[in-house]
Amino acid sequence: MTFIVRQIATTADGREIVRSNPFDSDQIGIGRSTENAIHLPDLAVNPDHATISKREDGHIVVESTSGQNFTLDGKHRVSVTIDPADGAELGFGGHVIIVGEEEGQILFTVKRVEALSDSAEDRSESTLYTLQGLLPGKRISAWGFVGLVLAAFLIWPIYTWATYRGVEERPDQFHADTMWSSGALSQAHHSLEGDCQACHVDAFVTVTDKTCLTCHEDDAHDHAKPDRLLTARGGPEGFEKIGAAFASAFNKPPGRCVECHTEHEGAGAMEPTAQKFCADCHEGMDGRLTDTKLENASDFGLEHPQFRPAVLQKPGGKNPPRKRISLDEKPTEYNGLKFPHDLHLSKTGGVAQMGRRLSAKYDFGPSLVCKDCHTPDPKGVRFEPVDMQEDCGMCHSLAFDEIGGTVRTLRHGEPDMVRADLRAYYRSTRPTRPINLGGMKRRRPGASNDIRVASDYARAVQFRPSRANLAINEVFSRGGACFDCHGITPPTARGRVDFGIKPVTQTDRYMHNGWFSHQAHNDEECTSCHTADTSNDARDLLLPGIKTCRECHGGEFQKASDVPSTCAMCHDYHADEGAPWLIKEQQKDKRKKPDKKIAQR
Amino acid sequence: MASNAVASQTGRKKVAMHDGFLKHAGFRWLKISSGIILLCIVSYIFIDVSPRHNGGSWYGYTLGTIGALLILWLTMLGVRKRAMTSGSWSLKAWTSAHIYLGLSLIVIGTLHTGFQLGWNIHTAAYVFMMIVIISGIFGIYFYATIPDKLSDNRDEMTETEMLENLRSLDRQLHESAQPLSAEHAALVLQSLEQDPFGGGFMRRIAGKYPDCATRIAQADLRRERAYQPKMGGDDPLDKVDALLEKKEATLARVRRHLRLKAMLQVWLFIHVPMTFALIGSLSAHIISVFFYW
Repeated sequence: MTFIVRQIATTADGREIVRSNPFDSDQIGIGRSTENAIHLPDLAVNPDHATISKREDGHIVVESTSGQNFTLDGKHRVSVTIDPADGAELGFGGHVIIVGEEEGQILFTVKRVEALSDSAEDRSESTLYTLQGLLPGKRISAWGFVGLVLAAFLIWPIYTWATYRGVEERPDQFHADTMWSSGALSQAHHSLEGDCQACHVDAFVTVTDKTCLTCHEDDAHDHAKPDRLLTARGGPEGFEKIGAAFASAFNKPPGRCVECHTEHEGAGAMEPTAQKFCADCHEGMDGRLTDTKLENASDFGLEHPQFRPAVLQKPGGKNPPRKRISLDEKPTEYNGLKFPHDLHLSKTGGVAQMGRRLSAKYDFGPSLVCKDCHTPDPKGVRFEPVDMQEDCGMCHSLAFDEIGGTVRTLRHGEPDMVRADLRAYYRSTRPTRPINLGGMKRRRPGASNDIRVASDYARAVQFRPSRANLAINEVFSRGGACFDCHGITPPTARGRVDFGIKPVTQTDRYMHNGWFSHQAHNDEECTSCHTADTSNDARDLLLPGIKTCRECHGGEFQKASDVPSTCAMCHDYHADEGAPWLIKEQQKDKRKKPDKKIAQR
Repeated sequence: MASNAVASQTGRKKVAMHDGFLKHAGFRWLKISSGIILLCIVSYIFIDVSPRHNGGSWYGYTLGTIGALLILWLTMLGVRKRAMTSGSWSLKAWTSAHIYLGLSLIVIGTLHTGFQLGWNIHTAAYVFMMIVIISGIFGIYFYATIPDKLSDNRDEMTETEMLENLRSLDRQLHESAQPLSAEHAALVLQSLEQDPFGGGFMRRIAGKYPDCATRIAQADLRRERAYQPKMGGDDPLDKVDALLEKKEATLARVRRHLRLKAMLQVWLFIHVPMTFALIGSLSAHIISVFFYW
């Protein structure tokens, strides 16, 4: 006996069945074919794969007959020589043949080591039909995402914030905390886009007014005292309490700039503050701010008090006393002048006739109109004060003498000069010389007549200067040039002529807390608001009341009205002397428009 | 009597009828969720928030708080589903609520944004939320349609049976291929050695396996034998061919089964990780809002 082939088979339940067959031959075959001594039922094995022959020296030679190789201790070979005493492991397909010696005989132990097919291999059926192993696990990717998102969206921005604390200006690069920005900043604040900490200084502390005022130290006028503002606004009501609770829980005091000036609302101009912000306080304000002098207002069309112009109390001086009086009380104003508007605007009568006579020279129409005397200011908002020489002098001449074609006029505004000029006039001129004193006299009989003429003339010449007082008296008294328009203070003593002119104050603006531009109302006639043509007294305050305005201007939401008007059309929160912000913005837009037209060409 | 009969009939019907997670308790959660959606939309329209709707108004905070708590509760389904109970807070009731309340989150979340979206983490949180919800909608669709197809395809076989079926065919193939030449045996061996569950995610979800070794083996064998005269008798290749055909049919069934099961599961591979991405970005969103307050 030369070879013993021991086949080991494994049953389904794992038991091993061992069968040994002796072969008394010097050469045996290995292959899938059953004719071989070592029959390997293995599709990876050639039907006649190799032969094993025994050499004289006891070594065995394994040689591939099919050209297909096999393995020796895991290495691919086509022919090997083995000393059975040393042992070896030959691999054919899914089988191994362990070469050994047992009691002087060469033993081949044949065993299947690989499963017959892939499906026959051991598998965990609980995961076999799932996607496990095909996709990254849910658990690992869930935690991965949490970590990634928190690192990118939370830790990195906080790190940025921490590293730039107290830095005046950040370098121009990407900063992670800009990922927190809920929207682009408005045009005006665009340069702060990358510098969150310009406004958001401390963690969990809201934007404070202090940061706003770093730049806006000049233009952020206080609307009212902060404590009164808060009182006027009142506490949150109803659902507003939810917001207030969040605000107080997270350290957000009320009444800050940013409450009205909301940011991160997108690029472009900052949104105009809504009327509701005004109405928040001014609607029913007397209930909260009990000592206020202001009346309630919520909407121009629905609830707005009658206008209360600052009416002049007494003309004269730099800051004459004024008092705000509601137009409902029909206030009158004495400004120091006498001027019946109706007389001047009448289509008939002396004034109109005089206008017609002077029309060629002064461009008057068939009768006088407002613009003949009133000149708009350069911006067209209000009117220049009426100027005597410019606006009245065309008709109300102060001429008193003519020398060589030059007309001499009395000096307006200087009563002393008027008196001096008149006196000088009478001193420097002589009465008209009677013709009889000249060479062309027509004689009447008798010398006494000549003498009387001469003496009368001599007396007239002598007394002429004293006639000046009479003329002065006349100028300052009823029928005189000054008296026509001005209030006159009488002389200090009988016989004196030191008349005075009462002071005059022309008011250029009656409503200082509201804005009105005449230019914006160019399409209207003056008389549609100012009833000047029926006013016969200069003391009439010809200001229109709110009713007149409401003929065109409705409230913000009265879209049916000609001009739905928000508070901001006339009022400014941070008011100064100029136009409200909204109007300025509108004018900016108007200025821009022509450029576009040019560009289109 | 008649009324009794009707009553008992309806009573029996109630007990007998299978009531899925969508129809649970007569669409109770659909109704609740619709109510929430309607309430949100109506209040959004009628509540005047100055200057305009945004997440930072009192109304925005309310929606945001509701939304955030809802997201956390919805996430708890993952915990809840591992403990099955019955009753009105059964897992089915919980799932039904999860679906319909989750859908209402589309409205709550969108209104919370006030339609102010941008390239920031706040919108990122919103996008994550929408991905979760949309993947969930796919999940609902798959859960509503796939089980029927699965059951049709299985033809009352269990998954174990399918595997055993494959193993048995492989054994038979192996046995029948023993007399084959080395070339033919190699073809059969390819089929045996290919992993029927392999091929990666894309193959599995598409159900297409262009490199199926069984089909290749069969095609090659047939191509080779197409012009060979039938000699009659016992050609082992005939048996191998028949077995390969059987195996291919079984593989087709298994692959359909794998594809359907993959679709049942794949949305969860988005739904679950994205939920956690959402919770992470939601935390960042909330903290950042108060950080830069």
